[in-house]
Amino acid sequence: MPSPRTTELARHRKERMWMWVQLSPVLAVLTVLFGGALVLAVMQSLGFAPWFGVNTFPDFSYFGALWGDWSFWQSLGLTLYYATVSTVIALILGTLLALALVRTFPSKKLYKYLYKLPLMIPYTVGIALAVIMLGNGGMISRIFAFVGLIGDPSEFPQILKTHYGWGIIAVYVWKQTPFVTLTLYAVLLGVGRETEEAAAILGANKRQIFFQVTLPQILPGIVSSTLIIFAFNIGAFEAPFILGGGFPDTLPVVAWRYFNDADYTLQLQGMATVVSIALIASGILYSYLAFYRRYERRIGRN
Amino acid sequence: MTKVQLKGVRKEFGAFTAISQIDLEIASGELVALLGPSGCGKTTTLRMMAGLEVPTLGQILFDDEDVSEVRVQDRNVGMVFQRYALFPHMTVEKNVMFGLKVRGTPSDEIKRRLEEILDVVQLDQFRHRFPAQLSGGQMQRVAIARTLITNPSVLMMDEPLANLDTKLRGEMRRFIRDLQQRLGITTVFVTHDQVEAMELADRVAVIFNGELAQYDAPDALYQRPNSIEIADFMGASNIFKAQITGGIARTAFGDLQLDQTVCQVRDGSGHVLLRAEAIDLLLSDADADQNLIAGKVTGREFFGATVNYTVDCNGEAITVNEQSRRMVDVGQDVWLTIQPQRIWVIQNPV
Repeated sequence: MPSPRTTELARHRKERMWMWVQLSPVLAVLTVLFGGALVLAVMQSLGFAPWFGVNTFPDFSYFGALWGDWSFWQSLGLTLYYATVSTVIALILGTLLALALVRTFPSKKLYKYLYKLPLMIPYTVGIALAVIMLGNGGMISRIFAFVGLIGDPSEFPQILKTHYGWGIIAVYVWKQTPFVTLTLYAVLLGVGRETEEAAAILGANKRQIFFQVTLPQILPGIVSSTLIIFAFNIGAFEAPFILGGGFPDTLPVVAWRYFNDADYTLQLQGMATVVSIALIASGILYSYLAFYRRYERRIGRN
Repeated sequence: MTKVQLKGVRKEFGAFTAISQIDLEIASGELVALLGPSGCGKTTTLRMMAGLEVPTLGQILFDDEDVSEVRVQDRNVGMVFQRYALFPHMTVEKNVMFGLKVRGTPSDEIKRRLEEILDVVQLDQFRHRFPAQLSGGQMQRVAIARTLITNPSVLMMDEPLANLDTKLRGEMRRFIRDLQQRLGITTVFVTHDQVEAMELADRVAVIFNGELAQYDAPDALYQRPNSIEIADFMGASNIFKAQITGGIARTAFGDLQLDQTVCQVRDGSGHVLLRAEAIDLLLSDADADQNLIAGKVTGREFFGATVNYTVDCNGEAITVNEQSRRMVDVGQDVWLTIQPQRIWVIQNPV
């Protein structure tokens, strides 16, 4: 007769095996689709593409050519500029909106529904709206011309298709402000009003309450939401492609151009661009998280 | 030392009336409890005194000065929240210093007062800990220290003992009482627990349905409630219908002689309130000469130090509470007696 201890061990082993069986579908998807694609992308960027008749693996010349070109750094600058500016604007607007929504005001229910609308509308529709509204010959330019502020819609200042990227930023902000609001609103509801009220009773003014009491408590929500939207903005393709100012393009657009070039061996250069985007994005996001973790430890969160 | 007055204060939230009308006067240095069931408006009253809510009607006066419209930041009150509302991202020390820092107090004075107050609340060794690393009692002491360091004119506490276990409650009760007496600070606290109110307060304001039902010292409220609802809320179990004639209360279990110097009554219907601990339980009818009620023990509940007997007296169940120095068996015939001055009569106002 087996001892009870052995039976228990066998049961544990069985449970563990069952756990792995249950996890296997998601693990398979992650390993094959994500891990496999990543490995393949890195290998391709290092010269492994026998299906094009190219196999010089390991070959760093694609990265060398890419990073040696000044336009790559211009594209990187533009990519980071659009991503950062729109993330910061969406964060500020989203935070203000979330702070307003936790207060009581008339027809709050309607506003709580309205602000989520852009979340349900696809990016491409947002881009189309930007073209219709902000372009020369768009709604706003026509209204300006109609009321006599400008002589002709074509005199309207160029908003789209410039390297300032106001159109791109507008679309990102329009879509991502509700996302930040949604996240921070939930965090604010969890935090509650009591610490703010306690601070007010202790004599703190609104600015002191926000920066010293509210902000540190909603910081986890700020970090996670900005992380997500920044990562998206760095890799997003359609808004800068349609609304951008042309050469130099953002990195995802540069990659797309390489992939679509008649010379298909340039796909390896495209892959090097994609891997560069991944490296830069993960480097930035990792530093951001590490910096935040250091702050968290300083304020006693483990 | 500040005197607090509420004059005809009313509070509405949209269509909902939280407080219909309250007049209350809290003497300087007094410790007052706002007592009532949940949703009666006691926390709203406290929040209006603190300045977190503005009354719809009426005035709130501190030392005869109307502060109803004064901003919460400028009211110089202190508040200890039920769940303490400590800043989770600050250490004990930073939590306590917060009020002085935001007021721009010079740093050497902040340091001096911090040491003083940490000593008062005995939290010196926990100064570098975060709230999450403290016990309930310690968190409450931090909340009290954070408030007291600003020298508030009125201290307010929302359910100060509610989140503590039984042993800690006693400790905190003594701590709050001693501190309040030492500093002589006018203190108002909210509670739904009548024992907590009686334990701590000089006077208790009972609030029912947004109105002040009775405002009295704890013993008066306990012994001489002015309505059946208050008696019931204060934990009275023996309330019986009676017909009053010439200083005698006629009840289903017999006549009771009343002491009219204690309890002024008029002839007519009413209710008698017999406090369970004021009744003597006798095994023989020879030991008493007045207000003798015959009955039979039908139940016994043992609480350690005390014991409760349920005695059936001509169809009415009377609860008797006594020290558990002896045990009377269920089923035994007994006699109950109560002194006239311990009987309280509740009659509807004319």
